[in-house]
Amino acid sequence: MTLRAQPGFRSSTGAQFLDPVVLSRIDNLELLARTVVDGFLHGLHRSPHLGLSLDFAEHRAYMPGDDIRRIDWRLFARTDRFFVKLFEAETSADFIVLLDVSLSMSFSTHHVSKLDYARYLAACLTFFSQKQRDRVGLATFDHEVVEYIPPSTRHMELILYALDKAEPGRPGELGAPLRQIGENLSHRGIVLLISDFYEDPNTVIEASRHLRYRGHDLIVFHVLDPAELDFPFEEASSFQDLESGQMIPVVPGELAEEYRTLVREHTSELERRFAANRIDYAVLNTAQPLDFALFQYLSSREKLRRVR
Amino acid sequence: MGFLAPVFFVGLAALSVPVIVHLTERQREEVVHFPSLMFLHRIPFRSTERRKIRNWFLLAIRCLALLVLLAAFSRPFLATSEISSGAVLGPREIVVLVDRSYSMGYGTRWERATGAAREVLDEMRSTDRVSLIFFSTGAHAVLRASSDKPRLLAALDSTSLSAEATRFGPALKLAQSILDESEYSDLEAVIISDFQRSAWSGDESVAFPPGTTVTPIEIGEKDQPNMSVAGVTLRKEFFSGRERIRVAARLTREAGGSLEDVTVRLELDGHENQARTVRLDPTGSAAVTFDAFTLSDPFTRGTVRIDADAMPQDNSINFVLSPGRALSILILEGQGARKDASLYLRRALEISEAATFQVVVRPSTTVTAADLDTHSLVILNGARLPGGTSGQRLREFVQAGGGLLMVLGERSAWRDGLEAVFSARFGPATDHARRGPGRIGFVDYSHPVFEVFSGPRGGDFSRARFFRSRPLTVSEGDRVLARFDDGSAALVERQLGEGRIMVWASTLDGFWNDLALQPVFLPFVHRLAQYLGGFGERVPWFTAGQVIDLSDLDLVAGAASTPEELIRPDEERVALAPGGGSVLLPPGAGPRYLELREQGFYEVRPPGSNEPRPLTFAVNVDPSESDLSTMDPDELAAAVAPREQTVRAGPAAGTLGEVTNEDRERRQSLWRFLLVAAFILLVTETALSNWLSRVAGSSRFEDGRGHAKSIG
Repeated sequence: MTLRAQPGFRSSTGAQFLDPVVLSRIDNLELLARTVVDGFLHGLHRSPHLGLSLDFAEHRAYMPGDDIRRIDWRLFARTDRFFVKLFEAETSADFIVLLDVSLSMSFSTHHVSKLDYARYLAACLTFFSQKQRDRVGLATFDHEVVEYIPPSTRHMELILYALDKAEPGRPGELGAPLRQIGENLSHRGIVLLISDFYEDPNTVIEASRHLRYRGHDLIVFHVLDPAELDFPFEEASSFQDLESGQMIPVVPGELAEEYRTLVREHTSELERRFAANRIDYAVLNTAQPLDFALFQYLSSREKLRRVR
Repeated sequence: MGFLAPVFFVGLAALSVPVIVHLTERQREEVVHFPSLMFLHRIPFRSTERRKIRNWFLLAIRCLALLVLLAAFSRPFLATSEISSGAVLGPREIVVLVDRSYSMGYGTRWERATGAAREVLDEMRSTDRVSLIFFSTGAHAVLRASSDKPRLLAALDSTSLSAEATRFGPALKLAQSILDESEYSDLEAVIISDFQRSAWSGDESVAFPPGTTVTPIEIGEKDQPNMSVAGVTLRKEFFSGRERIRVAARLTREAGGSLEDVTVRLELDGHENQARTVRLDPTGSAAVTFDAFTLSDPFTRGTVRIDADAMPQDNSINFVLSPGRALSILILEGQGARKDASLYLRRALEISEAATFQVVVRPSTTVTAADLDTHSLVILNGARLPGGTSGQRLREFVQAGGGLLMVLGERSAWRDGLEAVFSARFGPATDHARRGPGRIGFVDYSHPVFEVFSGPRGGDFSRARFFRSRPLTVSEGDRVLARFDDGSAALVERQLGEGRIMVWASTLDGFWNDLALQPVFLPFVHRLAQYLGGFGERVPWFTAGQVIDLSDLDLVAGAASTPEELIRPDEERVALAPGGGSVLLPPGAGPRYLELREQGFYEVRPPGSNEPRPLTFAVNVDPSESDLSTMDPDELAAAVAPREQTVRAGPAAGTLGEVTNEDRERRQSLWRFLLVAAFILLVTETALSNWLSRVAGSSRFEDGRGHAKSIG
């Protein structure tokens, strides 16, 4: 899968701050998030302050059970039929980032590891959501929940601190930690899941579906290093699994092609299965700027803002 | 099919290197930490991928190219297919020269030499022509330009060693003539010999025609021990009026260890007479002197012999001895001559080992017919030519074959009638004191008298000072043998009938010159006496390979004890060789040649006779052949090869297969084709591998960043 940034976003002023390599030089995550979000939003044509007012969205026929205060009486006068006015969604939502901090996330073949990339992304989007008056939270996990910061409007500092201190240390697993986190989330909200998903698609979907069934809007970012996508290795070497420590001799030659095919199949399968479960899914290459991820998030947020 | 440099096939091991390296699952030190091996685990045979050869065809091409390249460097040749090689290569004119000198009898040299020649003949093609030359001192082409291999092999098998020494010159000239006459362009000369240094003088002026390939094949080893009887001297002694012979022998040894006890035996008429034991050091010599023995019988056969070694031919020397016959000389002195006028002359003639001179000194006025009949040489030492009856007798004596030497002195004078004997006139004595003493300025070294002085340090006549002489006026028919430095004749010869007359323009004493005090005086006088007296030198032995003319009276007279043993032209003779063969010498006036081929004793006798002591000649091998030191075969080959021709180094004995392989290789061209084939294969491999890489690369990496290695 080849992912490319959408034209129009990179040309804006401050876009250079979206480059992960540049961001890696900023030690302060808050500063980083502020720089990225402000720079990114400054380039957008639309107003960055979304959802602050009750904007009309559309009409629909009145259904029993609907709040009669939302009936458009003027339209009833003209048409003699009841229609309910639909407005933009409420802005005060829970936004929680589920960040995979397993050992596999420490992999990097350039300046930014997958965890760093995910860390930047989580900080930026948390900061962005904070600006939207959302309650923000964070959960880091590997094969179990490492740290959990419940959503709150006052937890921004904690989240940034937790992101800054997050270190990969253990093998990862999706099922158990996601189930545990889902049980802790009392309100419906937006759940951002960032992982490299080295699990069987069925397992991934099953774990994700658990959150989805609990009413959360799930956005999934699949973070991968370019080497994981392209497998550019040439020399025969011993490959060691970062998590299990297992080593196998590998001659990349013909194997690279098969590897790439398997990765494509894996991501395609995940994309298909996530889409089937109404989950937004995107593969993020750590060599690419953050704007695509931000744009992807904003697109999803746009859809989620709408209420029926 | 054979290979000239099969060692290159060691490089075949290199074929396995890339395969082994590729197939060996050697863990690299580099470890790649990867997030997850989930996908890698799903790829089948991931760890055996490196053991799999993906493109067998490419690997086969690479291996084949390497194989062909190695084969080209190994210089293949076709060894068995006459038809194919003959079709590719043109006919050859091959001259095979085989050394059959007796040094080739050392150990197994002869067997190896014939084996080498047989290999050459075995490898000849049907279109080739081979000339087989056996050589020693002389050379003989047993077959010329023949393609009949059986005949060539039969000729090779029927040839045996000779008793002669090695001489390359005649053989090479014979080979040159054969090659010059050939219309073939592919010429070859194969020289099979032990390449003794003594056999090549370097000035034989032999040059093979252009295009000739010279292949020397050396038979023999360096520094081989050999012991030989290098020479024998026979010294005459007279004891109680009887002639005695004292034999001394010189032994030499080359290489090997020292020998403590070498027994040297003297055999007379086949029986051991004496024996001596000497110590012989390596690369040394020793002399043995036997006790003198009385010589009584004519044609006594003697042999000095040592124990046989690897080359027995030079372990003995044969000789034939007969009781000596003296050359009687009559010295006539003039009236009133000093008492010691002939002192130097007489004393000089009395000192002799080889020839015995019986000297009688008388006044010139008392010459009788009996005196002339019993003498072979008359010397007029400063005396007038006798007149009247004596003069007439003297003239008849010379015309009958006698010799006359006129030594002009103070009392010599011309008289009428002398012109009938000697045409050259002489004048009064000339004194050279005023302008300094005269010297001998010219000597005719081609004359038998001066021949012995022709060599280096052979004698210097110019050291003698001549204070007085008698000028000679030379007329037609006279031969001037020596001249003074002023151009005047010093020694003149004239033939008169069967005899010879010589005139010496000065004295042979110490008054007119000091020649008698010079070292050359003694041999000069001896040579004069022997020449004028018709004294044939007794030759104790001949050398194998020599050809003697039995009709040569001088030669036979030297060997014969009595005039009765001389061979008359009307008599038939049979020569019996040492090996048992016989040569019939039919009567006739022409020369009657006898070739002395074998070592031993040749007998010449009338057919059917049973003489106990017939005319006998001893024959020995050439002692120079005993010197087994060798020369570089390439030196000889380079000397005779045409300039533009590269001479290939000859191999040592026992590696003849390689030699002939080299010989074939020069004309084969398989390696060139193989080199071209290897080049084509490599180009094909390059193109194919590049194409495969492009195909694999395009399907493997869409973004062009990938690269895959391939070994085949």
